[in-house]
Amino acid sequence: MPAIVTAERLSKTFRVKVRDPGLKGALAALVRPRYRDVHAVRDVTFRIEPGEIVAFLGPNGAGKTTTLKMLTGLLYPTTGRVEVAGFVPWTGGRDFKRRIALVLGNRQQLVWDLPPEETFLLNRAIYDIAGAAYTERLAELVDLLDLRDVLEKPVRQLSLGERMKCELAAALLHHPPLLFLDEPTLGLDVTAQEAIRGFLSQYRERHGATVLLTSHYMQDVTALASRVLIINRGHLLYDGALDALVARIARIKRIELVLGPGDGVTAEMLAGFGTVKSFHFPNAVLEVRRDEAAATSARLLAALPVADLSIEDPPIEDVIRQAFAQGLGEDP
Amino acid sequence: MKLRILAALWRLNVAEELQYRANLVASLLGTIFWIGTALLTLAVFFRHTTRLGDWDYWEVVVLLGVFNTLTGVIEAVLRPGIGRLAGEVKSGGLDLVLAKPVDAQGFVSFRRLDVWRLTDVVLGLALAGYALVRLHHVPTVAQLAAFGLALTAAVVVVYALWVALMSLAFWFVSVENLSVLFDAVYEGARYPVSAYPGALRFVFVYLIPIAWTTTIPASALTGRLEPGFALVAAAVAALAFALTRLLWRTALKRYSGASG
Repeated sequence: MPAIVTAERLSKTFRVKVRDPGLKGALAALVRPRYRDVHAVRDVTFRIEPGEIVAFLGPNGAGKTTTLKMLTGLLYPTTGRVEVAGFVPWTGGRDFKRRIALVLGNRQQLVWDLPPEETFLLNRAIYDIAGAAYTERLAELVDLLDLRDVLEKPVRQLSLGERMKCELAAALLHHPPLLFLDEPTLGLDVTAQEAIRGFLSQYRERHGATVLLTSHYMQDVTALASRVLIINRGHLLYDGALDALVARIARIKRIELVLGPGDGVTAEMLAGFGTVKSFHFPNAVLEVRRDEAAATSARLLAALPVADLSIEDPPIEDVIRQAFAQGLGEDP
Repeated sequence: MKLRILAALWRLNVAEELQYRANLVASLLGTIFWIGTALLTLAVFFRHTTRLGDWDYWEVVVLLGVFNTLTGVIEAVLRPGIGRLAGEVKSGGLDLVLAKPVDAQGFVSFRRLDVWRLTDVVLGLALAGYALVRLHHVPTVAQLAAFGLALTAAVVVVYALWVALMSLAFWFVSVENLSVLFDAVYEGARYPVSAYPGALRFVFVYLIPIAWTTTIPASALTGRLEPGFALVAAAVAALAFALTRLLWRTALKRYSGASG
């Protein structure tokens, strides 16, 4: 099957006015403006196959949103080639826009003073959805997102989580094969985040939609995405499976121990096996080199009264942070 | 823009507005108060003169009626719709519109209908009608048709001015008070263009064409102008519309970084 998204050597350079601080700077900028090139995205290449859920990761200002805007045709790239769902986004016009959905976590399309269903009806007119199809899709979305009690309340009375669910419903009524979600769980509480995640994976399973999302929450990524694209300072640092990334960056593993009865074990003894991260009897956490994790576990089991032992990867946030801080240069 | 979408949008707005019935009263009172003040100002003028730019009192009141009608269109549709563009360019809210399969200019322009403000349209036309009675002038069919065409042209010209002004937001991002600029200039349309000195008259006819918004329709109605002149007004409106469409396209290209 051909890729649904192809980006080849994509770059976007913004020309921004620079000015020195203060009134003097402002005047100088007025008389003789100076410009500086900001390379928001540099030479980014990737392909996405139909049905994939791919997450863009990166700190603020890394170029995630700029990339998303180029893929949805809101921005022209400075150089490079993009093809999305068989179209060049910025020339694809309405036929292209019918094939995508764009949800921005910090923007809403719902009409504030009216029940969400009114916005749905507007989108029905915009996307030219036939009556029967509309009824059927709305019923499905209401069911999957659990919106029954929400439909008739004015949007202003809904919670943030309910609003985001309705935003998703409004964006999906036209059954786009491709979803672009920018921070869809921004600001939501844990329950609402989970509801959104559950919905997205269910929706994808049912309709085979391709999903591209950006998020700050690692749980979104670990729960949904089979693949991550890591962008930092405009460069694509990594493209691949999340566990492979962890294996590549994280040079350590965590061994979590629950010690058995008896009080003979001391922190000094544990230090002989690895770095002691915490020790509150009977629980202990050690960090050891990745390639020695198995051997060290065996030695621990032989030497100490261990009731339980597990080997874990370090928290994914730590891994990602390390990736941004140090890059992905060499393998351990 | 498709009528179906327009109907859905306006149905939505009307439903929204109907929740706030007090707005009707506020809008009515506001309009009546405004007309009262305008008439009073006019009366003060006419204590010192019998003509204003060769127009007598009740002719100028016809023009005030036209002005008020256009104000209704501006307040009901343009200000709440395209008037919010500058803020949306700044906040990025425009992106959601641009991602939809609709004509963005049409959608942004006509997405709102603040239905209560249409009282201005009704009261404005009523004022013009009353002034005609006081003038003892019964318009001919040709004059009425010319008035209808010229008024339509006037709405198009006012719309074009708004689009042109709001498109500036794409170049100068922090200009959220552009509509104030419109108000300042549009004040000039409250009096017949012949009341202004030559240079200003030139500006209002050819550069910022507000003369076409009130003077021409009012003149058509009172028989001051040949009915055929309304066709010129229509041509001016068509030109203004085409130019602003071009400007909008250029502005959007700039927004998406296709140029510069």
